[in-house]
Amino acid sequence: MPNIVEIAVSNDAFQTLVTAVKVAGLVEALQQPGPLTVFAPNDDAFAKLLPGTVDTLVQNIPQLQRILKYHVVAGRYTTAELKDMDTLTSLEGAPIPVRCGDPFEVKNATVLAADIEASNGVIHVIDTVILMG
Amino acid sequence: MPSPYSSTDRQTETMTATLDSTTTQLPPSTHKYADVIHRLEAGGSMLPDTPENLMQIIGIYKAYAVPMDFYWRDLLYIAERVFLDPLPFFKYFLPQEYLDLPNHYAGETADYRVWQKGEASAHPELIEFMQKGEIDKKLPKIFHHLWHDRINMEFAEACMRAMLWHQGMGGRFNDYLESEEYIQNADRAIKAYFKGNPLMLGLYKLFPQMFYEKVRELSYYSNLGLFWEVMAPVFFEMSDRYDAGDFKTVPDAMNFLVNGIFIAAGRPIYHHVYIGDECYEIIPKSKGFMWLYEAALPYVEAVFYRTAPFRGTKSYNAQAKQVPEEQKDFHYGILYADVFPVGTAGIPPTLLMQDMLHFLPPYLVEYYQQYCRGEDDMLIQLGITFQRSMYNVTSAVFQALRVALLYPLDDPNPEHRLKNRQFFEAQLDRFLRPEARLGDIQTQDYR
Repeated sequence: MPNIVEIAVSNDAFQTLVTAVKVAGLVEALQQPGPLTVFAPNDDAFAKLLPGTVDTLVQNIPQLQRILKYHVVAGRYTTAELKDMDTLTSLEGAPIPVRCGDPFEVKNATVLAADIEASNGVIHVIDTVILMG
Repeated sequence: MPSPYSSTDRQTETMTATLDSTTTQLPPSTHKYADVIHRLEAGGSMLPDTPENLMQIIGIYKAYAVPMDFYWRDLLYIAERVFLDPLPFFKYFLPQEYLDLPNHYAGETADYRVWQKGEASAHPELIEFMQKGEIDKKLPKIFHHLWHDRINMEFAEACMRAMLWHQGMGGRFNDYLESEEYIQNADRAIKAYFKGNPLMLGLYKLFPQMFYEKVRELSYYSNLGLFWEVMAPVFFEMSDRYDAGDFKTVPDAMNFLVNGIFIAAGRPIYHHVYIGDECYEIIPKSKGFMWLYEAALPYVEAVFYRTAPFRGTKSYNAQAKQVPEEQKDFHYGILYADVFPVGTAGIPPTLLMQDMLHFLPPYLVEYYQQYCRGEDDMLIQLGITFQRSMYNVTSAVFQALRVALLYPLDDPNPEHRLKNRQFFEAQLDRFLRPEARLGDIQTQDYR
């Protein structure tokens, strides 16, 4: 079974995310056995960010890492596990509110595709880049 | 570098286009400031959209940006070079190196060129004022300083102290200041700074916490300097665009600020100290501290909302609970200020008003001459204009937080729009207390 990075790289909808992860030097971290849960914003999600936001982050790697780590949680959380949960703690340290119903929402993002299994975790595709706060 | 211009336009269109769908599908708000809530939901500002308001706030942004260009440079100079000088008599004497320090958001070397026409070095009007002062005579710097004919840097330090004192306003900055890693970094810099000075090193050994606390304060100097480094070119650019006729409405101005917030959001907040040829990283950029979380939001909370009662303006009896028990309930910031007594007491906001008075655009001077006591109470009039302008900046913060953490104004899901409303209502709840000026700024006759 492919790992989280391999799944993202093979999917055309994650080009921006893959670039960001590479720039941030987080490829290796996402290939670790984990397991991890990744809320993966697709390209349309990144396109919704106001201009300048990404430019600044790409110039400042620790800050970019912080934003990306907010999308990752230690442990494998599928929709079955998330049903009875309302908050996860991200690798960044800040909480991520989750509402696993219909629709399945993560903070202010909606999950477009849930429970994509990887060898080292699970991916949920989201339509908005989520931010701490 | 790309211009934020097009996106501002785009966002303005999105915000204004949402008015009908948003207001027709949710029942009207029952909040005391329901009109303001509905305006925010339509992509507007807490400040009513009138040409008079737009003219006032843009004029004052420009007048604010010139002294701010001094503040951020001097804050960084003090944090990075003056550092722990026990007798910092000359900390307001900005060396040429810091007047030339390239702003990261202006000039050709910018990381992101927000101020399109401006240079990265200190603003020409600031340089001229520093040379001639109010008396319009070139004298040695020391005379301008002693005569207090200079930029009132004490205002910037008061804002810094408000951030230091309130602390705990979100972000991770304050937690780091208490960490062992920070203490070790500070220790290295303190020992290097006082190398060969047995008296100060002895004092450090006896009272280490006092030194650490002073370094923490200096870290807030750096924090605020890095925050204002962004805001000065943003305000200059707004003034240029207004002069060119590009800003037509108050929401145009607010949306430009929203855009500025997002451009700078990921900017590192750090504290470096230069001792001799060496740079000591007391807060390294690698800690990942960000302009939005560790500087902008704490600044707004500490300075716009909280601060502390100013000495000489009014007597408070803490035992009679005239001062809140909790720091979070403090309400002495510009959004609550009664500008008249503040303006007569020579305290921090008055220092800022005095600084802005020197750089008012002609149209604003003419405007003030028509009202109240004309030139005689111009400090008060511009203070109230400043209050209006800061309600607009606060509106930009609300809209930026809504964009970042909540939902688009035209979100088709009514539950999402309800979340947006609850957010706006919660923010405006802070203006229900009688001291708040939100009600006053809704009319033009508040001057």
